[in-house]
Amino acid sequence: MSTQPEFPMESPLLSDQSRGIRTKARPVASWREHHGWSAAASLRRLMSRPVGTLLTVAVMAIALALPLTFYLLLGNVQKMGEALGQNQTVSVFLQPGQSGSSADLMAKKLRDRADVASVKVKTPDQGMDELAKMQGFSGALHTLDANPLPFVLEVLPRTDVNADGVDRLVADMRGLQGVDQVQDSGTWRQRLEALLGVGERAVLILAGLLAVAVLLVVGNTVRVDIASRSEEIGVLMLVGASRAFVRRPYLYAGIWYGLFAGVLAAGFAVLVELALAEPVAKLGQAYAGKLQIDVLPPWLLASVPVAAAFLGWLGARLVSAWQLRKAA
Amino acid sequence: MIRFDQVSKRYEGGHEALSQLSFEVAAGEMAFVTGHSGAGKSTLLKLLGLIERPSHGVITLEGQNMAKIGRGGIPKLRRRLGMVFQDHRLLMDRTVFANVELPLMIGGMAPNERAKRVRAALEKVGLLSYERQLPATLSAGEQQRVGIARAIVAKPMLLIADEPTGNLDPTLAVEIMSLFAEFQSVGTTVLIASHDLPLIKKMKKRVIVLDHGRLVADVAAQEVL
Ligand SMILES: Nc1ncnc2c1ncn2[C@@H]1O[C@H](COP(=O)(O)OP(=O)(O)O)[C@@H](O)[C@H]1O
Ligand SMILES: [Mg+2]
Repeated sequence: MSTQPEFPMESPLLSDQSRGIRTKARPVASWREHHGWSAAASLRRLMSRPVGTLLTVAVMAIALALPLTFYLLLGNVQKMGEALGQNQTVSVFLQPGQSGSSADLMAKKLRDRADVASVKVKTPDQGMDELAKMQGFSGALHTLDANPLPFVLEVLPRTDVNADGVDRLVADMRGLQGVDQVQDSGTWRQRLEALLGVGERAVLILAGLLAVAVLLVVGNTVRVDIASRSEEIGVLMLVGASRAFVRRPYLYAGIWYGLFAGVLAAGFAVLVELALAEPVAKLGQAYAGKLQIDVLPPWLLASVPVAAAFLGWLGARLVSAWQLRKAA
Repeated sequence: MIRFDQVSKRYEGGHEALSQLSFEVAAGEMAFVTGHSGAGKSTLLKLLGLIERPSHGVITLEGQNMAKIGRGGIPKLRRRLGMVFQDHRLLMDRTVFANVELPLMIGGMAPNERAKRVRAALEKVGLLSYERQLPATLSAGEQQRVGIARAIVAKPMLLIADEPTGNLDPTLAVEIMSLFAEFQSVGTTVLIASHDLPLIKKMKKRVIVLDHGRLVADVAAQEVL
């Protein structure tokens, strides 16, 4: 067969038995095809006005990057708190006159507790040595005849024990016979935990608000886009396009905006990580030995563009449904 | 094919654009709807494309009561119609080819088959060599022909045209009308609104005359002088 035109000039243009579009039932193929076309066409439209697109994407990216950055900071403060908390021993001062053997016995009892990781017995001599090492004290100490320091138990709570648990431990130890006083930085620990709780909640609220902002930005952009193309939409509807068909390129535009903004936001977050890495490491050295920046997990970074694309789609979907409502 | 039964149309806040209109158009027939400006010609065609709904009466298309077609059914109906507009309603940022391709794309036809059909339709209206151009680079008559190509490319059962020769010079107008007659000769039902009486007389087809929304004359093709 040679390449025969569908409407040969000599034969009728519209033969009776072939009315309408005889699609050989290829709904899936044509559906896929139109999705591909819509995705490409909407991308071309975005690229054809790069400045506007970039501005929209940048605003969305900043809105997405903000909660991400706060989350990053929060994670690091939390980690640092934990790291500091790990070295946070509770000092139990025994009454003067308690012997070394009773100190050892008490230490042994405390070690058996489930909430205690380790107990170190510090003798008065060791205490004196420590004091002596501290500048300015050595001269004064030599003038003392006897060692006035008591035995001290350095009790380290297990890391999985929370502030309340440590409080209970401290209270128990205060009640022990032969204990003079117990020094604990529990309030510090509690405050940090409470603060982190507030921070976590704040990040969640912020993320919710900014997700709404992203939705609004996409929605408004798509709204303007649809309004400027109302004529084209009218023509499409007149030649038999369904609402879903008309809407499709705008939904893809929303997806593109979200995707680009998400990638940009993840990029911002990585930049923030890089900028924070050095100061955090320094801070870690000063406090707890080695402490590295807590980076955002890859799954979170990867899910930002996905979630943003969903938000973009949702914004476009809501606005287009509302705007095409009156189109018929 | 088309049956109007006591059809009235009152626009919101307006007077009656169509009053108790009753007529039938058989399948394969070609008819003109004429009358003064504001007689209701465009309204009549809009009812057929479900761009407007009648206030009263029943319109039947191929035996189907059009009132039964819901919002969701409108696209499907329009894919069976070919509509030509006075202002041609082309997409100015797409090529002639893409404009004509539109109904086929919406219908979900395969790309290679689409291309064949689009070229055949463009050839029919004598614009095959313009397929890559944008409509704005074409003359008014050529743009109107692109609109016609788009209307016939999906091989509709009914072709309706609202003042298709409205802004064309007389020779071009005759050409366009002959094109419509050609579609009728192969079985398409054709309904054209026009106020160009001399041209209508030349065509020797049935003429439905409206006056203030009322049918005042229905002249059979043989009786057109
Ligand atoms: N959308 C509309 N809203 C209100 N009145 C309209 C509308 N469209 C048309 N009309 C009125 O209906 C009557 C018929 O209009 P139309 O069908 O356009 O007539 P024709 O096409 O014969 O000139 C006119 O009086 C016109 O003003
Ligand atoms: Mg009119």
